[in-house]
Amino acid sequence: MTEPAVVLARDPVRPAAADAVARRGVRVEVAGCERRFGRIVALGGVDLTIEPGELIALLGPSGCGKTTLLRALAGLEELDAGTIRLGGIDVTALAPNRRQVGMVFQAYSLFPNLTALANVSFGLRLRGVASAARRRRAGELLELVGLGAHGDRFPHQLSGGQQQRVALARAIAVEPRVLLLDEPLSALDAKVRTQLRDEIRRIQLTLGITTLYVTHDQDEALSVADRVGVMDQGRLQQLASPHIVYERPANAFVAEFVGSVSRLPATVGPNGTVEVLGRRLPLPPSAAPAAPGDRVDALVRPETVAVRRDANGLGLVVGRAFLGAVSRLDVALPGEVRLIATVTSIEATTLGPGVAVSAEVTAPPLFVTAPSSARSR
Amino acid sequence: MTGQRAGRRRRRRAPAGFRVGAPFRWAVLLATAVYFLVPLAASARYAVQGNGGTFSLGALTLMAHDGALWSGLLVSLAIAAGASAISLALLIPTAIWVNLRMPSFGRVIEGLTLMPLVVPTVVLVLGIINAFKDLPGFFFGTPLLLAVEYVVLALPYSYRAVDSGVRALDLRTLVDAGRSLGATWPQLLRLVLLPNLREAILAASFLTVAYSLGEFVVANLLTFNTFPTRLYEVGTEYADEAVAVSVLALTLTWAVLLSVSVLGGRGASREARRSQRAAMTAREARRLGSEPFGRPAAEPGEPA
Repeated sequence: MTEPAVVLARDPVRPAAADAVARRGVRVEVAGCERRFGRIVALGGVDLTIEPGELIALLGPSGCGKTTLLRALAGLEELDAGTIRLGGIDVTALAPNRRQVGMVFQAYSLFPNLTALANVSFGLRLRGVASAARRRRAGELLELVGLGAHGDRFPHQLSGGQQQRVALARAIAVEPRVLLLDEPLSALDAKVRTQLRDEIRRIQLTLGITTLYVTHDQDEALSVADRVGVMDQGRLQQLASPHIVYERPANAFVAEFVGSVSRLPATVGPNGTVEVLGRRLPLPPSAAPAAPGDRVDALVRPETVAVRRDANGLGLVVGRAFLGAVSRLDVALPGEVRLIATVTSIEATTLGPGVAVSAEVTAPPLFVTAPSSARSR
Repeated sequence: MTGQRAGRRRRRRAPAGFRVGAPFRWAVLLATAVYFLVPLAASARYAVQGNGGTFSLGALTLMAHDGALWSGLLVSLAIAAGASAISLALLIPTAIWVNLRMPSFGRVIEGLTLMPLVVPTVVLVLGIINAFKDLPGFFFGTPLLLAVEYVVLALPYSYRAVDSGVRALDLRTLVDAGRSLGATWPQLLRLVLLPNLREAILAASFLTVAYSLGEFVVANLLTFNTFPTRLYEVGTEYADEAVAVSVLALTLTWAVLLSVSVLGGRGASREARRSQRAAMTAREARRLGSEPFGRPAAEPGEPA
């Protein structure tokens, strides 16, 4: 008598909507994708594989090609070269309306003439789902995103966060093989952004949809993704777990783009070591072969720098930012070197601007690279 | 004490600005109303005035029996409907295409649509005759020719109405969202774009209909018998009937525009009601327990 959907629906971990939409995520394979806009190379040969049910966040500066890649996956951008396969099927030449991908946009994209419920059931209507069934399913999905009581509201009667929730419900209502999120939280305030970020991850895990999430917010990317891809100049610089991207960046760009780093002058020592701020540390991966005696820049994280008040120290605190439990110090060192350090806010009370300090690097640098004039960011 | 005085001063100052502005606005409104309504009222009075200043419906009776006037009116209404339909069929896809695919081409299109304002009507008519004289009889010499001509002549107004409506939408996002949900272009137009362009479409229709119902020069030069040309003929013979017809024509034009507006508004409300009813039905079905849910209907706690 009991239908499987109902049994599953009673499982508090797996809502009815999850069952209605649940699919085993498909593998996404992007191979050699190229796209140019005149002289600008938006995608310069991107290779990317997303495993079934995985959430990959794409990070990168503006114009790095991350949104172009996302739009190419949706079929909204044509490729000059390369192939895109969804679940083993080549969809490179397929029109967007035939790809079965769900997309949530940066801008509020709900259809203004339709209520929240009608927006969610829009894709089902196009697929010829019977009126009662699509209303029921749309209602379930609105429940899933916490807006069950808002189905009769028009987009202009919803807040930004609510609109993006409805947009998410609309995107997953069509049982997409892949979910594409194009900076869906960038227009929202910080509190709603954090809430909705966690909601998106919860729903993605519940439904098991393969998801590509484009964002320029590092915290967002590092906190929700199974793997993070960092893009620059149309190329994927590194694709790895958030931990690896942060701790073992593939190159200097990734090291400097993800999190904060200071560029400190260093000298390569013997036996695979490097001397930074007077301390000899293991030599990390290098952008170029380095021989003992070579002068390099060492990239170090603020949390691996110890700063203490020292009247004879060579450093001078020039800035202090309170971040809650910790504070960030901006320290000027001789030779126009700037050092960023993180200390507890209690320690920071005695380390205000103008205080002389000494600094020490407590862990191996992230990366060493050729000396540059821009020493820290 | 000082604070109270300052408060009083502030309270006194604010209405002072209002007192200066409000009478001025009312004066402008009154002057405009007098400017428009007095001639209309005088015309209406003249239309129902018989010999010796008595009330008479003679002019209106005369008009009621004027077969040429009625046939001209029917032709004008048909031309207005045709011109409006052709305008919308041409302008909506054009405005969408330009804004979506070639926004930089928008200024060129705008410039082209202004051409009817700078080309003299006589030149336009000669151009029409030369351009279409070899076309089959079902086109040249029929009101269809005039409808096409009015589409061109009304372009400066109708294109702007449609274009501003399209610009007001986040067109690219709506199109991308619709396409990613599986909509074909015709579905996208029917279900998303046209409903959201309702006001722009109505405005373009208003302008084209109003232009078509009132245009005299081109119709006269091309020797068509339309409502304005018949009105002119009547005016040369019977002044009182011409005035009566003019008042009636004005009323008729207003009535047509009003009905288009009301019908459009009703359509929008009907769609909104249908959409809201569907949402309420779904909520009611869930309330009655037709389907259980794994997640309680938690409110996000965000202000709408």
